[in-house]
Parts: sequence; C-alpha cells; structure tokens
Amino acid sequence: LQNPDIAITDNVLHFRAQGHGAKGDNIYEFQIEFLEPVEPKPVCRVTQRQLNITVQKKESNWWERLTKQEKRPLFLAPDFDRWLDESDAEMELKEKEEEKINKMKIESRVPKDPFKHLKKGYLIMYNLVQFLGFSWIFVNMTVRLFILGKDSFYDTFHTIADMMYFCQALAVMEIMNSLIGLVRSPLLPAVMQIFGRNFILFVVLGSLEEMQSKPVVFFIFYFWSIIEIFRYPYYMLSCIGIEWKPLTWLRYTAWIPLYPLGGLAEAVCIVQSIPIFSETGKFSLGLPNPLNVTIQFSFLLQVYLIALFLGVFVNFRHLYKQRKHHLGPKKRKMK
Amino acid sequence: FVSYQVEILDWKTKEQLCFLDKVEPNATIREIRLMFHKLYPRWYPARQSIKLDPKGKSLRDEEILQHLPVGTTATLYFKDLGPQIGWTTVFLIEYTGPLFIYFLFYFRMPFVYGLDERFTSSPHPVVNLACICHSFHYIKRLIETVFVHRFSHGTMPLRNIVKNCLYYWGFAAWLAYYINHPLYTPPSYGKKQINFAVIMFLLCEAGNFSIHVALSDLRRNGSKTRKIPYPTKNPFTWLFFFVSCPNYTYEVGTWISFTIMTQCVPVGLFTLLCFIQMTIWAKDKHCTYLREFKDYPSLRMPIIPFLL
Repeated sequence: LQNPDIAITDNVLHFRAQGHGAKGDNIYEFQIEFLEPVEPKPVCRVTQRQLNITVQKKESNWWERLTKQEKRPLFLAPDFDRWLDESDAEMELKEKEEEKINKMKIESRVPKDPFKHLKKGYLIMYNLVQFLGFSWIFVNMTVRLFILGKDSFYDTFHTIADMMYFCQALAVMEIMNSLIGLVRSPLLPAVMQIFGRNFILFVVLGSLEEMQSKPVVFFIFYFWSIIEIFRYPYYMLSCIGIEWKPLTWLRYTAWIPLYPLGGLAEAVCIVQSIPIFSETGKFSLGLPNPLNVTIQFSFLLQVYLIALFLGVFVNFRHLYKQRKHHLGPKKRKMK
Repeated sequence: FVSYQVEILDWKTKEQLCFLDKVEPNATIREIRLMFHKLYPRWYPARQSIKLDPKGKSLRDEEILQHLPVGTTATLYFKDLGPQIGWTTVFLIEYTGPLFIYFLFYFRMPFVYGLDERFTSSPHPVVNLACICHSFHYIKRLIETVFVHRFSHGTMPLRNIVKNCLYYWGFAAWLAYYINHPLYTPPSYGKKQINFAVIMFLLCEAGNFSIHVALSDLRRNGSKTRKIPYPTKNPFTWLFFFVSCPNYTYEVGTWISFTIMTQCVPVGLFTLLCFIQMTIWAKDKHCTYLREFKDYPSLRMPIIPFLL
C-alpha cells in the first residue's frame, strides 16, 4: 500500500491509494457518505496486509446503517468480530458498570462511614440476643429430654413457645437488615426462611391448640434451634472480624442434615394440620359471602406443601454453593 | 450479472444444511426460505429463522440478498423455531373458549352445581348483565381478531397456545363459577354500583375498540414498519396524548369495571394479573418506541397517564 490519501469532507470519507493487488499495481479509491455527522479527522493505521481507518461519530448513538444511501455498497461487509449491536453494547456497558461498581465497593470497604461502629454494634447485639434465645431453647429442650424422655415431646410448645415467638418475631429484623443493605446477604432466601418459619409457628401451630401437643413440635423447634446456635455466633464473630475455623465449618456443614430434616418436620406438621383445618373451617371462607369467593385453607396448605419441597430443594442448592465458596477446596482435600 | 451462491449452516453445529447454487442477487429472504423448505419439507418457512450471525436477529422476509453485507457466496445460519401456529388461529381458539365456558356456568349445566340446581336461573339481574358483558367482551375480541388486527409477526410457537388457553379458559371457568353460583351475593351498593360499572365497561370497550382501529389504520397498506400512533378526531384516542398503549389501559379499565359490577374476588385477581401482564407489555412497547423514534412525545407514559 503506497501513498494513501484519506480525508473526510462533509461527512464523506474519500480514500485513494496505490496498492499491489491481485491484478498488479493499481490505484484504488472509494467514497463513503456517512449516515450522520462524523469527526473530520480519521485515525489511520497501516499494517502489512491492511489499512485500518477509525472514524468517530460526532454524536454517540446507534445508527440504523452506516451509509446515507439506503443501499449498502457492494464492497462493504461488516466484521462481526467487532460488530456491536445495541444488545451487545448494553452487555459491554453492563460489564463495564459492574467493574466500576466492584471497584467502588472495594474502595467503600475502607471505612468512611460515621455510623459504621453503630451499625456493627447493633448487628453484634442482634446476633447475640438471638444466640442467647436459641441457646436457651436448645438447652432447655435437651435437659427436658434427658429428664422426661419422650414425654417432653408433648408439652414442648407450652414451655418453649414464648421464647420461640420472641426469637422468630425478632428475626424479621434480618429482612430489614438485608433490605437496607446493612448486611450483604441476599434478600430472597432470608424472606423465604422467615416467612416459612413464621407461617408454621404463628399460623399453623399458634392458632390450633390441637397441633400444639403433637410430638412433631419438638422436632421442629429442636432442628431450628440447632442450626441457629451455629449461625448466630458465626455472624457475631464475623462482625468483629474474628474467624474461628471450627465454627465456620460447623456453620456451613451442620445444615446439611439439619435443614432437610427441619423441612421434613415442617411438612409432617402441615400434613397433620390439614384435616383439622378442614374440620374446623378455620381461616376458610364459604359461600354466600359478599366477596363471592371460597377460600379453603386446607387446600392452600396442600399447595404450600408443594412450595415447601421446592423451596427446600432450591435453598439446598444455594446453601451448597455458598458452602463451596466459603470453605474452599482445601477442606475437601482434608476430608 | 453475477449469480450468488448461498450456503445455509445450522446455527449451533455449523454443519452445512444446504448449498444453493445460482441464486439471483435480488432474491428475497422469503424466496430463500421457500427454497430451503423444498429441501427440508419439515421446516416450513414460518418455522425458519435465517440469520447472518449465529447469535444475531432473524432476517425479515423482505430483505434482499444483494443488499445484505455478504459476498457473492453468502453464509446464512438456520435455527428451527419449532412448530408454529398463526396468530389469528391462536386468538380465535383463545377467545372462543371463555365465551362458551361461561355459558356452561350461566345455564348451570348439571355437572357444575349439582343436579338440584341444573338449568335454573339466578334471581339477580346483575348475573344476566354479567353474562351479557362477558360475552360481549369476547365476541368483540373475536371480531377484532378477524377484521381489525394486523399482526407484525405471522406466527408464534405452538407450545404457547397450550399455556395461553390454560390461562384464559381456566380463569373464565373459575370466575364464571362464582358469578353464576346459586349462593352468589350481588354487589353491596346495589343498583348504583352496577350502573356505574356498566357505564365504565361500555366506555372502556368503546375506547379499546377505537384504539385497535386507530392502530390498524397505521398499517393500512400492508406495510410492516412501525409508526408513532397519534390521537385522531375520536375522543377515545385522545388518551394517546398521555399513554403509549391506551388499548391496554382501556382493557384494564374494562376488567376493573367488571370486578365492580360482579364484586367477585376471582374477577379481581384476574384483573390484577391482566394489569401486571399488560404493564410489562406496555413498558416493552414504550421502550421500543423510544428507541426507534427520536421525536417520540415525551409526555407519554407506557400504560397509566403520568404514573406508570
């Protein structure tokens, strides 16, 4: 390629050069009139095999086509490796924005927040209170189990319920914490867990005296409390910045048997409660009524049962991924 | 005169599915689809997605081969869209169902409310009114499907029809069950509530129809390009000043009025779901308008004036 003459006048790119092509030495030239105004100074780079001309748009926006004329010139073909569609570009923009946000996050971890200590204090207090509450429940239930044996199953609710009500009602704060960004964990799993547990506790168990003396209550409370006595201290320590490896391992492993078992206990509880709700018609609405609808609570519970299994399954996979992420490959080798 | 050669590859496996020799430069993609169909009778043209780039958008029927950025040997990619069904067919099936299903409940077929109540009629005039309104709504939709609507895409995937029918037919049955039930309770505010609802219903239906006619007029000569809809002399179309998709606005209004008329929670639930679905569609359409037209009126919101 020799003597390249490249210029832009009135949005028209003029190209003229002498080159050695398939048919010998010739003068090659072409013109392209751009669809919209462009900067008059193109940037050119010459390599052995090709000449790159970069032309900049005056205004940054999407062009329907390159040239002002509707018919695409026959010699013009897009290089799809560099083709940017709006959707592609949006992906690129998103990636760039994510990078920026990540950088900002890393920078924002350097404390410039005046409330940082207040927030930490609050979180530590919250986790401590929950830990104490669930420890009380766990210890109480264990002691009673040793003393009374199987008989302790039947009045678990009467002795433990108040503390459980308190702890689970307080747990709603966890949703708030996630919502206002105080805690980095995702919102949806927290909402699902709090809603699921409180539904069982307040609606299914709380409203039916008959359910409260069933043995399944013991198992539900026991499984819930064991998981929590590992989870809350782990959060407390991570707030302070301490990591106690055995506790981390417990927190990310204890759920493997306990979470499905807890889900199973909840499912048994619901199955047992369905006939009672059917008979008593509690929370159900029959015709005639001004809303012209029938609500069968026992039917809703059956639907909930299906949702429970799906939820446990989905959450299990999420927790497993979390475990891999936090415990890392080293632990696997140790086992 | 240069004749083109077209090779068509599978978009995933990149294996060559066909090689067309001596293709005219001014051949349209429609003609290429027909040629491909001859070689593969299973893949009729509506089912073929032909693209320049494996991950790109499907080429339109009207595109001409020599205007595409390809050399004289063009490489195109094929993707099977699955069995397709025409939009008109889909709408006809979707809308006829609720019409007849409602009648099953209105006339109290024996298998619905039991043998004791079979073929009885309700003492409440509002129940008759509700049947008239519901039927009117779906008959109007059927008429619009046949005479008014002009679709930009000819077909949709076949599995959509199962999903859509379940939704429309299922809800029609559920709400018809309660409205025509022997233990139905008429609206709490009586005639005032019903009359208000009827007037709102008629206004919204008229509005919805006006918008559909206005939109179809934009494509009067069979063109498939998008144009900005504008208000006309018809007062119902003046909603175009405030909203991109007033047909959806009126539709939601129709169902709200039906909910008020029947005072029935299942109808309310259906209205809510319709509202959510149409808001999603309206936002989509609104964004498309904004992208395609630089001079798009800035006052317009997608579905609710000034709000949403």
